[in-house]
Amino acid sequence: MPDSDVLVVGAGPAGSVAAWEAKRAAPELDVVLLERDPTVGVPVRCAEGVGDAGLREFVDPDGAPWVARRITRIIFVAPDDTEVRVADGTVAWILDRTRFDSFLAERARAVGVEVRVATEAAGMERDGDGRWRVRVRGPRGEEVWRARVVIGADGVEAMVGRWAGLDTRVPARDMESCAQYVLQNVDFDPDAIYLQFGDRIAPGGYAWLFPKGVAIANVGLGIVALRADGRNAREYLDAWIARRYPGGTTVGSTVGGVIVNPTIKQTYGDGVMVAGDAAHMVNPLSGAGIVNAMKAGRLGGRTAAAAIREGDTSARRLSSYHRAWMDLLGEEHRTHYRIKQALDELDDGFFNGLARTANRIPERKRSLGRIFAHALVRHPQLIPVAARCFV
Amino acid sequence: MTPLISAAKVGRMPHPRASEVARVALELCDRCGLCLPLCPPEAIHLEFDELLIDQQTCTGCRKCIAPCPVGALAMVPA
Repeated sequence: MPDSDVLVVGAGPAGSVAAWEAKRAAPELDVVLLERDPTVGVPVRCAEGVGDAGLREFVDPDGAPWVARRITRIIFVAPDDTEVRVADGTVAWILDRTRFDSFLAERARAVGVEVRVATEAAGMERDGDGRWRVRVRGPRGEEVWRARVVIGADGVEAMVGRWAGLDTRVPARDMESCAQYVLQNVDFDPDAIYLQFGDRIAPGGYAWLFPKGVAIANVGLGIVALRADGRNAREYLDAWIARRYPGGTTVGSTVGGVIVNPTIKQTYGDGVMVAGDAAHMVNPLSGAGIVNAMKAGRLGGRTAAAAIREGDTSARRLSSYHRAWMDLLGEEHRTHYRIKQALDELDDGFFNGLARTANRIPERKRSLGRIFAHALVRHPQLIPVAARCFV
Repeated sequence: MTPLISAAKVGRMPHPRASEVARVALELCDRCGLCLPLCPPEAIHLEFDELLIDQQTCTGCRKCIAPCPVGALAMVPA
């Protein structure tokens, strides 16, 4: 029976960073990274946007081959199509996730992590001596791997968490159903991301355009099905594109779920931790998850390495991972979740009015903070939203 | 300290046979996995490139149907 110290399930940003950090922290450990798909980073189920500061904690984006576009502006679009250009000194990046994910996995391999593609975990049980036996299917047939610590970075499906007895289920109100096309020959500001809100456009979520280059972009949206009119996410997207970008040519298509539920109550158990989408670590307000996943992967990988060196991989020992995550971002996400709930109560008329208020601020001074301050005075409906920032 | 008892395990207990169960149209399904964490009794599984719904475990609750981004799930008589 093959043996490992740390077995990571899923080679997305959370898993590759977890494996890399564990091996770097304790090079004597056997660290194995499993990926179900034959190629790391394929298929892409992501809008590929990421903030500058968070990304730089892990990698240098300047001139990197896995960057598609540098972004310096956000344009909010009200339900009635009023555009609000925000001048925030924002810097963000649109990644090429296929290249980015494979870069992170290669970086793990380069420090000695064993990366196995086309290999899926099919189940796991605790054995008599306090290790996991993970059933694995791949090109070598069926195998059972032993592992001191399993890190579940298996995305929305979150099977590792389930097998370990953690509650990873999602209430329907907190599942964003997303659809996206890669659209060519469309007209937009290639330095800006566009976000449009509206009950008829993307109920419970928003629609986006993220440039991958000049005249080519990820164009998609997320909806909460409970708030929808019976159409599915792809039907909402087709309607939005027909109205806003009728001349575009579709060169790619994807769908997927974004869980906008705060972090699960317990992200660890005996010899197991879960990270990234699998632990509901997406920012519930923005839907951003890439950097969060990497931050959780870093915490998980380091915790695994330290725990194994100490000879204690009990749930009690691994609970330090959960606490560190909650201090870093988990608690903040609870606040963001409450703000999202309050914003969900506001209607299209409110957002149309807010856009006009914002556009009265001169463009040079139109930062998000200033928009919010002006809006609070003119739109008292926002006071409960603001209050939730401090609850 | 032991892990939380999985509420899903409770869902695997026998239940009155549902009159309708969820079925996937594989020609529409994109294998995105969105429906898996929505399923209370864990009747939905993704194995490599195939979505499987265990007709014996499905309770007919419909929670997976509307959220599917491409409308690949529908209720059928059990």
